[in-house]
Amino acid sequence: MKIRTFEYFIKEAVGSLKRNRLMSLASVSTVALSLLILGMFLVMVLNLNNMASNLESQVQISVYLNEGLSDMEIREVGTRITKLAGVNQVIFINKEEALNRFKQRLGEQQSILKALDGNNPLPNAFEVKMDKPEGVKPVAQAIAQFKGVENAKFGQEVVEQLFALTKMVRIFGVVLIGFLALAALFIISNTIRLTVFARRKEIGIMKYVGATDWFIRWPFLIEGMILGFGGALVAVVLLNQLYGALIQQVYESLAFLPLIPQYPFITTISIVLMLVGTLIGALGSNISLRKFMQV
Amino acid sequence: MINLSGISKVYDNGCVALSDVTVDIPKGDFVFVVGPSGAGKSTFIKLIFREELPTTGKLIVNGRDVGELQPSEVPYLRRNLGIVFQDYRLLPDKTVYENVAFAMQVIEASEREIKRRVIQVLDLVGLRHKAKSCPCELSGGEQQRIAIARAIVNSPVVVIADEPTGNLDPETSWEIMKIFNRINKGGTTIVMVTHDKTVVDAMKKRVIAVEKGKIVRDEVKGVYGYEN
Repeated sequence: MKIRTFEYFIKEAVGSLKRNRLMSLASVSTVALSLLILGMFLVMVLNLNNMASNLESQVQISVYLNEGLSDMEIREVGTRITKLAGVNQVIFINKEEALNRFKQRLGEQQSILKALDGNNPLPNAFEVKMDKPEGVKPVAQAIAQFKGVENAKFGQEVVEQLFALTKMVRIFGVVLIGFLALAALFIISNTIRLTVFARRKEIGIMKYVGATDWFIRWPFLIEGMILGFGGALVAVVLLNQLYGALIQQVYESLAFLPLIPQYPFITTISIVLMLVGTLIGALGSNISLRKFMQV
Repeated sequence: MINLSGISKVYDNGCVALSDVTVDIPKGDFVFVVGPSGAGKSTFIKLIFREELPTTGKLIVNGRDVGELQPSEVPYLRRNLGIVFQDYRLLPDKTVYENVAFAMQVIEASEREIKRRVIQVLDLVGLRHKAKSCPCELSGGEQQRIAIARAIVNSPVVVIADEPTGNLDPETSWEIMKIFNRINKGGTTIVMVTHDKTVVDAMKKRVIAVEKGKIVRDEVKGVYGYEN
C-alpha cells in the first residue's frame, strides 16, 4: 500500500468519525466500559491467583489450643508437635501476643477492638514451621487429633477457598465480558453502518471506477479500529488510576494483603486491553461491511 | 471488444430481461442501444460492466470472459470501462477537480499523473475553468460533462452511457453528443442506451434495437425507429 493511499484512508476515517460524532462517542464509551470491566476482572482474578500461590508456598501451620489448658498441658502439646517429622520450628503465641498482632494488622481501624469490650477472644496458639510444603497437610491433620488442640489451620484451606472464589469470579466475569463485548460489537457495527450508509453513493462510484473491495473497506476498518482503540485507551487510563488508588489504600490499611505491584502488571493488562479493543473495532466494522457494502 | 453469444438473463423473480442475445461490438464502434422501456436495454449494459451476471451464454469484454470473473477481478475489468449515468452521480461535497481526480485516486495513480490527466480531460469537455467549482454550481449539461470527464479519465477502452442526455435539453444534449463523438474518434468504443430520437437519427451510428429481451434490429447507420 502506498503511503499516500494510507493517508487517504486515515483522512476518510477521521472525517467520518467527525461527521458521526455522537455515534462515535457512544461507541467509544461502550468499548471503554466493557474493557474497563474486563480489565477489573483480569486484575481481580490475577490477584486472587497470586494470593493463592503465595499462600500455597507457605510452610506454616497455625495450631489453636482449647481454652483453659494449664501451662504444663500447653508445653506437652508443644513437645509432641516438635517430635513430628518435617517440623522445623515451633513458636508459642499466647493470647496477649495474638491480640497485639491483631492490633497491628488493624492499623487505623482500631475502633473494631472497642467492640470486644476489653475481652480477648483469641486463643493460645503455636506457629509450626515446616521443612517442605508437601508435609504441611499430614502434619496439620495429625496435630488436629492431639488432646487440647482446638484446630490446626494451614494455608492450603485458604488456598482452596481462594481458588474456588477465583473460579466463580472467572465464570461470572467471562459471562459479563461476553455480553459487554457483544454490546460493543453491536454499537461499533452500527456506527460503521451509518458511515457506510452516508457514503453509499461514493462507494457506488468507487466500485464503478474500479476500486478494489479492500480499497473501499480500509477506511471503515480503520474507523472501527480507532473507535475500539479509543475506548480501550479510556479504559486503560481509568484502570491505571483505579488500581493505583486501590494499592495506596491497601498499603495504608490492609498491608498484609499481597497485591501485585502496579507496574509492570497494569502495563501488561493495558496492552492486552488495547489489542482487544482494536480487534473488537475491526470485527464490528467487518460485520457492517459484509452486510451493507453490497452497493 | 464486446462479444455476447447466446446471452440470456433471467432475474430471481422470473422476469426474462434478455433472451438468447448474440451481438459483436468491435473496437472503436459507436453503438446506440434503443427500445421501449423494460425491453432489456439496461440489463444489456449492466452485464457489460458486470453489475449483473448472465444466466446463460458467454460474454467477452476486452478479452475477459465476464461470466468467469472472480469478484476480486471485477475492479480490474471496470478500470477499462467508463460509465456515465443519466443522473451524473457526482459527489456534492467534492469540487469538480476532486470529482474527476477521485476516479484516479481509487486506482492509486500518482499525484502527478492525476493532475496531468484531470486537466487534460477537463479541457476535452471544455470545463477546465470550473475545476474549483462545486457540482451544485453547475448546470445539468455541465454536470454531465464532468461525469463524462470522470468516466474517461482512466483512459477506458469502452465508455458505457445509460441515457446520458435523458435529463438535458436538446441543445445541451447535442453538446454532450459532440463530446462522445470526440472520445470515439480517439478510438474508444461507445455503447449508449438512449431514448433520444433526435440524437440517434442525427448521429447516423450503429443502432441495436432491443424489444422483449431480443435484438430485433441491428443497423450500421441506423435510426431510432420509435415514436417518442
